[in-house]
Amino acid sequence: LAPWIPVVGLEIHAQISSNSKLFSGSQVQFAAPPNSLVSFFDASLPGTLPVLNRRCVEAAVMTGLALNCHINKKSLFDRKHYFYADLPAGYQITQQRVPIAVNGSLSYSLCIDNKMSQMVTKTVRIKQIQLEQDSGKSLHDDTRSQTLVDLNRAGVGLMELVMEPDMCCGEEAAAAVRELQLILQTLGSSQAVMAEGQLRVDANVSVHHPGEPYGVRTEVKNINSIRFLAKAIDYEIQRQIQELGNGGTILNETRAFDSKLGCTIPMRDKEGKQDYRFMPEPNLPPLILYDAKSLPANMNHQQVINIDWIHERLPDLPSVKREKLVEQYGILPEHSFTLL
Amino acid sequence: MRVLSLGRWLRAGRVPPRGRVRLNSGHRHSGHRPQAPPQGPAQVPPRKVSVEVLDHLEHLALVDFRDSEGVERLQKAIQFADQLHEVNTDGVEPMDSVLEDRCLYLREDDVTEGNCTKELLENARETVEEYFVAPPGNIPLLKLEEQNTYLQGSK
Repeated sequence: LAPWIPVVGLEIHAQISSNSKLFSGSQVQFAAPPNSLVSFFDASLPGTLPVLNRRCVEAAVMTGLALNCHINKKSLFDRKHYFYADLPAGYQITQQRVPIAVNGSLSYSLCIDNKMSQMVTKTVRIKQIQLEQDSGKSLHDDTRSQTLVDLNRAGVGLMELVMEPDMCCGEEAAAAVRELQLILQTLGSSQAVMAEGQLRVDANVSVHHPGEPYGVRTEVKNINSIRFLAKAIDYEIQRQIQELGNGGTILNETRAFDSKLGCTIPMRDKEGKQDYRFMPEPNLPPLILYDAKSLPANMNHQQVINIDWIHERLPDLPSVKREKLVEQYGILPEHSFTLL
Repeated sequence: MRVLSLGRWLRAGRVPPRGRVRLNSGHRHSGHRPQAPPQGPAQVPPRKVSVEVLDHLEHLALVDFRDSEGVERLQKAIQFADQLHEVNTDGVEPMDSVLEDRCLYLREDDVTEGNCTKELLENARETVEEYFVAPPGNIPLLKLEEQNTYLQGSK
């Protein structure tokens, strides 16, 4: 019997740690009275316009640099259209054509055989990092057949990190996300607490036989912790192997992870393949970033973001801190992982 | 089989350019003047829009073409826009915003807005304890076969 090769790719949304939202001046705060942190722009009232928050751009650049990405000196904003009650504008402002950072990598470590004694380093490629808006929150009231909408979260800045499908199991995904969490927290670009929705992970899973093309992939959502991430991915891999082994087929669908049952179930409300009708955001000119060489002479400093300046001020990343601990105190590498 | 995007569909059936007009490349300061465009509207043949595409558009944009006049208006609009294919744009970077030489203004990360719950909720027909009320999830449009509309009749 030919072995199955699982393929796992992650799409991660990290809420940017900032005082105000990506395109408006309303506050970013977890757990506030409903609809109290909402500006006219966030509620999508006619006549309002987006104004980009400098801090969010800096957070994205820092993150891109820490993940060895190429920072695009010119990036563009687009509209992604779809209808949902928590998206009052009917579109999300994102960066589909030219995102702010591309082609990076994230290195993480795994223990072999569950023993801390042997650690192996793996790398997952980062396809891109883009700036985009978060949507509001929907509370489903099934008894009264209605949805309650709170727009406090609508418009909060997000960094979407797209990883290439370089991983093969739940354990690798969990380790990668843990390391990413540490990096984001060290940089301060996101607090990355999954329980508060500051870090959301969707997993794309497929299986195929060696030498054959990649199988149909499913997208798994509603994963609320790193532990559940590993469980959901491993369950989905097994489900697909079983289904294919019984002669069935895998549908290209979105599935939700049910943490109580420990399984994935098809999500309702997904009407086949969505056509997002991407179009350039007409209210935002291209985002131009500078470095030491291209710095314009006579521009207001507040309006200029210098990539090199940010690079010089990056704090030591966790991997560097671990190395320093090993060097300075002579501890074992695996112990440096316990500490950091 | 639904066509995924009207734009893609238009590109697939390109009208071959007649009497190529080379417009200046997007550079403002190059000093070249564009040649005069052809006189009058180009003779572009009208194209029928398939029922599948119309149905797809109705789902996407939540419009209702309602009757033959609505569909006819759409076809005329496409025909009008098709004139753009007369222009040779080889090697020209598409312009997607007239703001291309403007600086994107960067705002300082200060809290300056919000706290207007009462005002915002005034616009809502129905609210529950400071939440907006919406139907339970998206109510999908009926599939074409199940509808009783003009499009269904015209299949």
